[in-house]
Amino acid sequence: MDPVLVAQGVVSGILFGGVYSLMAVGLTLIFGVMRVINFAHGDLMVWGMYLSWLLATRLGVDPAVGFVACAACLYLLGAALQRGLVDRIVDAPHEMQILLMLGVALILENAALLAFGPEPTRVRSSLTAWTVWVGPLFVDMARLTAFAVALALAAGLGLFLYRTDLGRRMRAAADNVYGAQVIGTDVRRVYAVAFGVGAACVGAAGALTASFLPFSPALGLSASVASFNIVIIGGMGSLVGAFVGGLLVSLAESLGAVFFRPSLKEVVSFSLLILILLFRPTGLYGRRLP
Amino acid sequence: MTDRTLAPGLPRRRFLAAAGATAATLGFPAVLRAQPRTFKLGVVHPVTGPLAEPGQACRLGAQMAAEAVNAAGGIKALGGARLELLLGDTQTKPDVGRTEAERVVNQGAQMLLGSFDSGSTAAMVPVAQQRRIPFLVDIAAADPITANVARAVKEGQQKVQYVYRNFPTGSSFGRKAVQYFTEIFKEAGVAPKRVVLMYCNDLFGQNQARGFQAAHKAAQPGWDIVEVIPWPEPPSDLSTEVARAKAQKPDVIAPITRPASAQLLLPEIRRQRVEMLGVVGPGSPGLYEAGQLATLKEDLEHVLTSVPWPNFKHPKTRTLAEEYARRSGGKTFDTNSGYSYDGVFVVADALERAGSADPDAIVDALKKTNYTGGLMQYGGPIVFNELGDNPNAIPTMIQILGQKPVAVWPREAALQKFVFPRPKA
Repeated sequence: MDPVLVAQGVVSGILFGGVYSLMAVGLTLIFGVMRVINFAHGDLMVWGMYLSWLLATRLGVDPAVGFVACAACLYLLGAALQRGLVDRIVDAPHEMQILLMLGVALILENAALLAFGPEPTRVRSSLTAWTVWVGPLFVDMARLTAFAVALALAAGLGLFLYRTDLGRRMRAAADNVYGAQVIGTDVRRVYAVAFGVGAACVGAAGALTASFLPFSPALGLSASVASFNIVIIGGMGSLVGAFVGGLLVSLAESLGAVFFRPSLKEVVSFSLLILILLFRPTGLYGRRLP
Repeated sequence: MTDRTLAPGLPRRRFLAAAGATAATLGFPAVLRAQPRTFKLGVVHPVTGPLAEPGQACRLGAQMAAEAVNAAGGIKALGGARLELLLGDTQTKPDVGRTEAERVVNQGAQMLLGSFDSGSTAAMVPVAQQRRIPFLVDIAAADPITANVARAVKEGQQKVQYVYRNFPTGSSFGRKAVQYFTEIFKEAGVAPKRVVLMYCNDLFGQNQARGFQAAHKAAQPGWDIVEVIPWPEPPSDLSTEVARAKAQKPDVIAPITRPASAQLLLPEIRRQRVEMLGVVGPGSPGLYEAGQLATLKEDLEHVLTSVPWPNFKHPKTRTLAEEYARRSGGKTFDTNSGYSYDGVFVVADALERAGSADPDAIVDALKKTNYTGGLMQYGGPIVFNELGDNPNAIPTMIQILGQKPVAVWPREAALQKFVFPRPKA
């Protein structure tokens, strides 16, 4: 086995892992705080990608910068979704949650189909063609930027949750809703912020990957499935778990492509899921739920 | 008093009712004749989902053809019956393809046309066979689609084959691709030795790859397939796959793609600076469509691919291409729209010769098809062999030159000379 190929696999795996992590971090936040499984997660990401494409083609804003605007728009969309729809089913049985979120996913996917058409497309960015060679290994600048921004955003989210008042209240609401209300937390507001931030994370992930990942409205479902895989492996509700899970899954897929037939790389990442479910069902960093 | 008036009244009422019924029965055919007849053709393609771009092209091609047939007077052998299209959407999912086929048949479809994706087409075959609905496959390459039915008929498990295909099969794609590869290398005066085959791992990709490899083994040309690299479709990252290909020091990369994977593969090949003579595809979507050219731009330049292609030397094709461009918002008339267009005309031709809407009569007429009015590049008239396939449906090698797909091989189809090896970046 060619060592350069293995090394390249590791590098590619880690770099793409940053994006996976950012997708998963949003999902785990929503679940951790509200116990809502956001099936529309992948479609929110696709909308982030299309917004980034709109900014690039209509206003000439480079995706490397435009992701901030995309994240902001998706924050608003997420908060609106939560206030308008999710709030009503927060205490409802899981079946109702699933139905509602799947419905939202269908609407988002088909709205994108109506608005943008079915063809896969990409965004041209100044980083698209920029590759840095480190000896025999290459580093794609678009992916490196995505990784760096993902790392920064995850760190920022960690700071928000552990150092700010709103963040602490969010964690309190996640731990014990009634206790949080007793200490004066506006739980509805906290939920809206949580959903908004979760959507913003996945929107940023979308905008960052739009320059190197071809996207179409149909991508939403596979992105949701990938996010779920990572979150279950990392532990639902754990930020660190989502980040580590993202890196792990991406690395597993990349090395799977190196050592086995590349068409089997998803077998590797889903086998990881099965192993985790068998031996550590709450995930690598998950807490046992009461 | 009641008894006496009723007794004579009842026979009169009964007589009037009977007379009315007789008049209606006698007059019924006249009422029917007064209405224009239609022949319902179920047209099922993936207009949503990952294959929506080619699927929508297929649907528009079929619609334009049906309009042309109806404008020329419909199916004269069926009393001027108009072709009525019952449209279905497979959503690029095989199970939905099957459900859509059943739905249009329940709505009265007497024949089926479709469905671009080998997966959905294969799922629709049992519906055609069980419900006795002649099914003309306009586009789908997987050999088993017709071969399985032919075998079942031969072994006596099925009485009649209802599935026919006017499109090259995976094995014929493979044979022609190997032939074109060898001829082009010879014509260009180069002798590449190492070819890396990379393909999308869905039913179509697997079948194409198998066909290409089998044809290569049978032909034993001067070049070898040194590595075979499949990827899961749609992929999110192909950097490792391309790195593996590069490690093989290829002279030629032969990709079998879908639109999404082509958008990842070609930039990755350029990014990793794979030094080779060129990208020559054995035949797949994603390397020539207008949407792909708009997104990939220079990454597609000089890419060769062996695809079924319209015969642009035919004057009717050029007029049709202009009309198609108008109605589709600027898209090129290509494989997808073209084969669906020809498919409707083959259906109309079979109906004219069958003279009836009876499925077995239509099947007999289909088997005897010898249609020369096709607008695609064929190697002869449209006929169907014992497997139900058209052996004269052949691909043409096209190349992206000046950001436009142009037929470059074989010589009788070529509009321009090919450029191979590709110029150094």
